[in-house]
Amino acid sequence: MRFAWLVSMLGSSLLLAGPPDTETNVNTRYTVESVELAGENPADTADISKGLRGELTRLVGEKLNPAALDDLARRIRRELHVRAVTHRVLRGQKPEQVRVVFDVRGRPAKFEASVPKLLYLSQGGFAGAVAGTATVGSQALTFGAVNDGDELVERYAGIVARYEDKSLLSGRMRLRIQFESYHEHWDQATTAAPGRPGGADPAAGFYGARTNLEPVATWVVARPLILTVGVSFERLQSFPAARTEAANAMVTTLRYHRRLEGSDANQQEWDAGYSLRAATNLLGSDFAYARHQGDVRYVYSWGRSEIVDDLTAGLIAGRAPLFEQFVLGNSSMLRGWSKFELDPLGGSRLVHNSLEYRYRRLKVFYDSGAIWDPGQTVVLRHSVGVGVQQNGLFAALAFPVREGRIEPVFMVGMNY
Amino acid sequence: MGVCLSAQAFGAASLTVIWDGDDLRVAAPQLHFLTGKPLERLKDGASVVFLAQLTLTTDHFASIQRRAPERFIFSYDLWEEKFSVTKLGPGQRMVSHLSSSAAEAWCLDNIAMSASGLPQDRPFWLRFELRAAEPKDEAAVIGESGVNLTRLIEIFSRRPRDQQPQWTAEAGPLLLNELKRIVGRAARIL
Repeated sequence: MRFAWLVSMLGSSLLLAGPPDTETNVNTRYTVESVELAGENPADTADISKGLRGELTRLVGEKLNPAALDDLARRIRRELHVRAVTHRVLRGQKPEQVRVVFDVRGRPAKFEASVPKLLYLSQGGFAGAVAGTATVGSQALTFGAVNDGDELVERYAGIVARYEDKSLLSGRMRLRIQFESYHEHWDQATTAAPGRPGGADPAAGFYGARTNLEPVATWVVARPLILTVGVSFERLQSFPAARTEAANAMVTTLRYHRRLEGSDANQQEWDAGYSLRAATNLLGSDFAYARHQGDVRYVYSWGRSEIVDDLTAGLIAGRAPLFEQFVLGNSSMLRGWSKFELDPLGGSRLVHNSLEYRYRRLKVFYDSGAIWDPGQTVVLRHSVGVGVQQNGLFAALAFPVREGRIEPVFMVGMNY
Repeated sequence: MGVCLSAQAFGAASLTVIWDGDDLRVAAPQLHFLTGKPLERLKDGASVVFLAQLTLTTDHFASIQRRAPERFIFSYDLWEEKFSVTKLGPGQRMVSHLSSSAAEAWCLDNIAMSASGLPQDRPFWLRFELRAAEPKDEAAVIGESGVNLTRLIEIFSRRPRDQQPQWTAEAGPLLLNELKRIVGRAARIL
């Protein structure tokens, strides 16, 4: 109660106080000429959302509102997960006008847990991945665990450790070193499939454990073109015999991303990529092959609707291990079909297209594709489905288009 | 006629105490607080809140007899390169087009503590404190619903944060009957 008298004395008078900026900052009479985002690291400001960028742009031409700047600085900081965002107001080029500069200061040390994949398929069971990432500045260290029977021919379970520096050469280069160690489980349909890698030897071609060390560097060649180059040192422990084979390969990926905004809130997005994994004896590999994969994704959105078309094609030349084989009939390609029914060993040729229409949370999709090996007949298959998605959660029901009995595949997942 | 008593001061500034009508006021012409980080923020177009407090004690600060906190908001006109000051509270006042020293003087000139009831022959001490509010504290001490008094007192009760600018000066022992009493604002201009 030491200060009770003070409280009573000042209470009524001080309650008259207003917000400091709206009435008391003499610069509020000036008009905003431009708004800039400046950062120690260009990568810090690159990820700002379209919505927030729009709000920054809308400040131009308005009278300076310091409270709005404070609010936007808070939102930028929250969105970019950076240490601090401050703003400066400078004289503009013209009298009575001012420039606003938001200074973005570094990413703080933080730890984030994430679920990169969580999926249940009525044909195929669960697939999931969890990861924890510690970030200090532009450097990140990730440890994770994976158990995935969806993506490849085999089910693989194990750990992933990854070091990344996301800002080298003034943000133009990114370095990543990833280590993976997995144990494999093979479906009976795969091990019993005719034409398996070992031919007459029932064990050949299958492996019980797989480790991979993959250092790669990514360059921003010229926005929006990004090139990734690295080496993959893959070790396969044969199963059941304890023999180790190497599948060391050069890995290269070239990606292009472009977003085009129309005049009526229409938006188009292009994302295309080509990747090559080339294993050669020069790298000490027991396998020699070249795995090519290309994909093009086009998104057109207007209002609450969105159309997405995703085209993928792939080719493997040479003898590749099973984890490199292409797969159709999983949760992302030719949904509704079973990968073991289409090709239990995976294929060395692939073409697939997925067309999806989304309206708010609802979506319908049409997948078509073929997977084959040289000498086989190419069979184009189709599937259709419906689903809902919101906040990273999705559920879908997919139907294979074929004659005879149709069993739909139900899938549900998150953050995928 | 100006009346004052030069008093001992802490830091570089000397504190002058003025008995103006019924109020005690202070002056410190050598005190310059529009410097460093607060000045940088002002020149970046932001407004800066300064919290001032005058404390009176009759036992050399063993206990506090009276306390008068005030809040001032400074801003700097980017085009005219002049300062503007707003004193918050009843009869909110604002001046603009001031040089930095004129803005500082106006701020001190608008801090007063009632001397009524104070025995003229009893020694007393005055402490003047001025602190630039941290940007994150500004909303807490000044908002639409008014100042959070608990917060304001807490701010002056605790040590300033590292690099948080603060100025303190003390005067005393003083006797009211040794201070010439003046009437009229002219006496405040020293």
